[in-house]
Amino acid sequence: MSRVFSTNHRTIGLQYLWLSLVSVLVGMVLSALLRWHTSWPDTVIPILAFLEQTPERFAALRLLHGSLMVFFVLTAAPQMGFGSCFLPLQIGAGEMAFPSLNRLSFWMTFVSFAGITVSFFYPQDRGIDIWLASAALFSLGALFGAINFTVTTIELRAPGMTLPRLPITAWAWFLNAILSMLIFSVLLAGSAALLSDRLLGSEFFSTASFLAHQPQNLLRQGSLPVVWERLFWYFAQAEVYVAMLPCFGIATHLIATFARKPVWKERLVVFALGGVGLAGFCVWGCHMFATGMNPFAPLVFAILAASLGVPAAFLVASWLGTLWDADIEFTASMLFAMGFVSLFIAGGLSGIFLARQDLARAAVSEEFVVGHFHLVMGVAATFAILAALFFWFPKLFGRRLGEPLGKLHFWLTFSGVYAIFMPMHWLGLLTQSRLLPDAQRLALASASSSIRAFVTVATVWTVAAQVLFVVNFATTLLGRRSTVESNPWNASTLEWNALPLPSGEDLALARPVVYRGAYEFPDHESHAPVPQHVAPELLAARTR
Amino acid sequence: MPGTTSKPDIDLIIEPVREPIRRGGGPTAPPPGGDDSGSNDGKRRHRGQPSPNRYYTGIAVGIVSILMFFMALASAFLVRRGSSADWVAVRIPSLLWINTVVLLTSSGTIELARKRLAARDLPGFKRYWNISAVLGVGFLAGQVMAWRQLESQGIYLASNPASSFFYIFTGAHAIHLLGGVGAMLYVVFRNFEIAKVSRNVAAEVTAYYWHFLDALWIFLLLLLYVGR
Repeated sequence: MSRVFSTNHRTIGLQYLWLSLVSVLVGMVLSALLRWHTSWPDTVIPILAFLEQTPERFAALRLLHGSLMVFFVLTAAPQMGFGSCFLPLQIGAGEMAFPSLNRLSFWMTFVSFAGITVSFFYPQDRGIDIWLASAALFSLGALFGAINFTVTTIELRAPGMTLPRLPITAWAWFLNAILSMLIFSVLLAGSAALLSDRLLGSEFFSTASFLAHQPQNLLRQGSLPVVWERLFWYFAQAEVYVAMLPCFGIATHLIATFARKPVWKERLVVFALGGVGLAGFCVWGCHMFATGMNPFAPLVFAILAASLGVPAAFLVASWLGTLWDADIEFTASMLFAMGFVSLFIAGGLSGIFLARQDLARAAVSEEFVVGHFHLVMGVAATFAILAALFFWFPKLFGRRLGEPLGKLHFWLTFSGVYAIFMPMHWLGLLTQSRLLPDAQRLALASASSSIRAFVTVATVWTVAAQVLFVVNFATTLLGRRSTVESNPWNASTLEWNALPLPSGEDLALARPVVYRGAYEFPDHESHAPVPQHVAPELLAARTR
Repeated sequence: MPGTTSKPDIDLIIEPVREPIRRGGGPTAPPPGGDDSGSNDGKRRHRGQPSPNRYYTGIAVGIVSILMFFMALASAFLVRRGSSADWVAVRIPSLLWINTVVLLTSSGTIELARKRLAARDLPGFKRYWNISAVLGVGFLAGQVMAWRQLESQGIYLASNPASSFFYIFTGAHAIHLLGGVGAMLYVVFRNFEIAKVSRNVAAEVTAYYWHFLDALWIFLLLLLYVGR
């Protein structure tokens, strides 16, 4: 029991990762069910045959898929999971600043997970209440986590670990914690007020009189009044970057490690990460072009959203610059990191179109948006999570995931996700474009059913490919324990240079001293960065 | 192949060197190489006491997120007020002005308590600290009475948007203040001989939080008053 309710950062990080694993598997099955219904709307959705098959049920299915994936996979795994495990080790702290708060964060997240899952089985009205309470609880847990990460990075760095020497992963976790702290407060406030509207009858967001006093042309049928939308999108657009920032950090770190080169323009990468966070914080209006805004507001938001392309493009340039002329080691982890880059570019490009409010309103439809954000946020981030899992698995479990199976899993998944989401972009552009005459649109709509079926087959293909991952994961964990070197990837950061699987207590008492940055190579010939903690005189002795 | 160039010769040895507590957390310049006792490698590890600074930074960061929570509500308040004609202004109960004076006084007494503690006058500290806690509880009791006053006038949470915002602002502030009173009681009753945190640090952090809640209350009161 003491292990379950442990305050050890590694145990808590692993608990987050297990929760994410369960969520991602359930969420993936749900996405297959959603595709089933889109392709064959007249048939009963498998597995859910015992529930009533209503439009509300389908909406609840989408909500459950989105909530599980966004909250418990994309938000929880890269930041809270890997961050809890490795931030204290990478900065030489040994433990989080507030271990008990870390435990509280996890258990709030866990209860929220249970609440959101249970809410699906309740009738719609009660289900939304439970969902809102769970989202509020998740926000509170995320807030506590963000405070903990921020304080840990500011206060607990080892002697010599100055800010420029922080690994990019630690920078990303730190910047992301600051962003999370700002936006989850807003979601908490919004959820609390909406819950109060629903349970106590207060009148923050939705009242008949509010609607009655709005100009009719600004009202959208069936939508919530704009105050809630503003608060929600204030959170939700920045949430995309909360999911992505740690993934940027992970990708940068892994690419440098496996390319055996320093991060290209490392200092500017940190600024770019900060820039993504800052701009991401300012673009919430992009989701509200259709609501009653000041006519100039969409222009401002469009410019801000497009300006996100600048730091994003810089990150891409840095990854490519690091890979340039490098002797790359194509491990499964590196493949997933490079897959992340590919998906991020592919998904990010369509984002530039969506940032333009005129295009977003007129030319594209839901499927384009679904394709865009799944590529850039969902799938790209999942690739980064998988890259991180392959990379840190030896540190977490003292054994390595199988490389051949891992690479096969990568190629099947990589081809699968492109086969799902690229056609979705076309569907969005072709079939529902409001610029085409009605007759042409109808003709295209009937022709599009084969593309939809293709997408569904690709979804089944991709979901099936994950069996390889589950097999790899299970056989590695359950199989015979192999001896693994303490630093199998030749990384320079502190977490690899402590003894394998140290207990929190031992590490809490011991602090390394840091002498250099995370990506320093002694010379061009060398294929291994210098560990951050090795004293210069020892290094000199070794080279002699 | 991964691992083929690993260098086991640079694994760490944990060495129990006690490091003095520093304000400012981790990063300082690393000691020059080979500085002591002929230890000429990079295998040194210093035993580190967790810096008490984390509590100061923790409360500062916590204050930022609490501020963001209230700013979200404040922006909703302004947008909601300006966007619909169903807004019926709430007359601020006069009791709130008395409560404000009580809260401001408590900020003063908590500062006096802090000064007493710095002068190592523990009985003086406890006296002012207890007064502050009592004033804090008095403020909360006053807020409850103000709500009762409004209820007796038929103004409830669900009456109209303005009353909803009045109750959520004062209620959310009261919940945060309750946390502050809890922290004050912690400082009173905690045996600091065995605690991780010292009395000085706990008292200072609580005082900062309390001053913040004080300032936040003034802001909320002005918002409610001006934004009627």
